[in-house]
Amino acid sequence: MKTRNHPAVDLALVAVFAALIAVCTVVGGVELPFGVALTLQTLGVVLTGLVLGPWRGFLAVLLYLVVGFAGLPIFSEGSGGLGVLASPSMGYLLAFPFGALAAGALAALSVRRGLKGRYIWITLSGLVASLIVIGIPGIVGMSVIAQVDLVTAFIWNLAFVPGDAIKCVIAGIIAAAVNKAFPALLAAPQPAAISA
Amino acid sequence: MNKVFCLYVPGDSLLHRLGVGWKYAVMAAMVISGVIVSAWWFTLSLLAISVILVLLTAVPPRFGLQMSWALILVAVLLVAYQSFTGKPLTGVVIAGNLIMAVYASRMLTISTPESVLIDALISAASFLRVFRVKPEKVGLAISIMIKSIPMLLDLFTGIQQAAMARGRGRNLAAIVTPFVVRTVAYAQETGAALAARGLGE
Repeated sequence: MKTRNHPAVDLALVAVFAALIAVCTVVGGVELPFGVALTLQTLGVVLTGLVLGPWRGFLAVLLYLVVGFAGLPIFSEGSGGLGVLASPSMGYLLAFPFGALAAGALAALSVRRGLKGRYIWITLSGLVASLIVIGIPGIVGMSVIAQVDLVTAFIWNLAFVPGDAIKCVIAGIIAAAVNKAFPALLAAPQPAAISA
Repeated sequence: MNKVFCLYVPGDSLLHRLGVGWKYAVMAAMVISGVIVSAWWFTLSLLAISVILVLLTAVPPRFGLQMSWALILVAVLLVAYQSFTGKPLTGVVIAGNLIMAVYASRMLTISTPESVLIDALISAASFLRVFRVKPEKVGLAISIMIKSIPMLLDLFTGIQQAAMARGRGRNLAAIVTPFVVRTVAYAQETGAALAARGLGE
């Protein structure tokens, strides 16, 4: 269980999951019953943390952001570059790597402790990451860009909470299944994948 | 198949020939100054410049200047809210910046091939040596990521169609679970192939 991954495998996991987030962002075609087209971007971010664990998850989301900021059209609506920084949602975007980090750290902790009800703990990890670690910077970003006070931004944020909570529950189901298929992935010791 | 990178339009315009570093600097300067200055006349000037820049790439205006409904809706709601609170000019700044930033970024993406953007990013990554990170590892990660996108997109579409055929096309977990499992397997195979070639260490 405690065998370290080959660094090349860590690098490939980071790179391929950065691609997974890009794909989740552009497919977005899964329509919810009430007609809202749901982008899977947050789902991809939370899942990356829950599946890869904190450090590889953090690096994968960071890589996704950096490649998007470089100008490749992998952000929502097929945009790329720095344009997203003028969008009210920029706080959420910048907090994504930390969301994956938190989701991975909490999920790894609960799996290593061997807590019962793995699915529940993994889902809760995703919820904390999404609603708090990503949500709070998201509210601050919305307040700065849309020039409204924090209370107004907080209320606007509430509109996204149900959707994000549903995505976290789905991410928990998926991550628990993936964790069964690849048990070493989340609980294995985490080397820093890209560092020398 | 590859619907991710559909924005670059080959051409011979002034902007196509301009170096990627210059275009990036223009985009960054416009987006950041628009947000910081936050004055209606400044934002509207930048908006006009961004429209001119997109038109200078010589793509059909209907394609270059198109806006998604979601973005228009956000812009309208922001103007409406700020007008409601008695600050219509603030609304103009926010919505104007939002649209200007999209156009400024699009100017870069329309006129620069992906390979040029990636090469520029990899050479920009060389400063990471300071943090004891090997730039070639970052370059390797970036190229694996880019190559994986069309592959994962096909994988996702295939799984989605199979789920729809079983009448489970709306069940997100039934689609994404096999997708993620196969993505992990694909990443591990890729990692093993890299390790066998002595790469990525």
